[in-house]
Amino acid sequence: MTNTETALKEALASIEGATGAALVDYTSGMALGTIGGSKGFDLNVAAAGNTDVVRAKIRTMEHLGLKGEIEDILITLSDQYHLIRLMKGRGGNGLFLYLVLDAKRANLAMARHQLKRIEADLEV
Amino acid sequence: MAAEAEVLDELHRLRARVPQLTGALAASVDGLVLAQDTPGVEPEGLAALTAAALGVAVRMADATRQGDFRELLVRGEYGYVATYAAGPSVVLTLLAGDRANVGRLHLEGRRSGTRIGALVEAAAVEAQPTTAARLPAKPAVPRTRTARTARTTTEPTGESR
Repeated sequence: MTNTETALKEALASIEGATGAALVDYTSGMALGTIGGSKGFDLNVAAAGNTDVVRAKIRTMEHLGLKGEIEDILITLSDQYHLIRLMKGRGGNGLFLYLVLDAKRANLAMARHQLKRIEADLEV
Repeated sequence: MAAEAEVLDELHRLRARVPQLTGALAASVDGLVLAQDTPGVEPEGLAALTAAALGVAVRMADATRQGDFRELLVRGEYGYVATYAAGPSVVLTLLAGDRANVGRLHLEGRRSGTRIGALVEAAAVEAQPTTAARLPAKPAVPRTRTARTARTTTEPTGESR
């Protein structure tokens, strides 16, 4: 079991190519914790914007009558990957982990696997 | 303050950008409406209540040494009322439903507050070109009022989200 701060630190330190991470409450759009980012990349802006992404997908799935749950969402930019992993269980409902990766350095399969493990260990 | 039209434009743009908003109001710190787009809510009452709440918020920030007033968030059963500083003499009050993205509300509210503050300031400078040199001497100490019983009823808008 890890807390938010440790989990975010671990994400940034152990996932190759990670440049920023956040734990976001998508019922409010606010970040519970952020790490990394830069002056030009405000993780609080990303948290609010990606809340809309997650909500839109959840709503679309409801409209389509899909019963499954979102595990993760991958957004591929020309030079970055953005990975959104929805948390489940242990009070993690309504939260997602958001990870920014440098596309040149990251191993997507490994990053996804590691983020899944960090999410499983995280207790909010 | 002759910036009403520009400020109203800004409020319309803000509401277009943030669809979860159910109302937006710019008011002077002493409770007068500057521009409003608040369907279903009486703007004069909201402006007066904003000024009253602002007075308490300013004093609370001051008493706990948190510096100047920046923003105030009230969450009700059916939604949010958020007030943001817009320069020294104006505040921006936004209404949003309970499913609103508060992170987004804060980002857009702060940005819009800054813009409205600049618009009002520019209009003030334009109105007094001869005295522009001594402009920053505007003492914007918000008056505190005793809370009125101006009752504004916010209907819960049936939001689809």
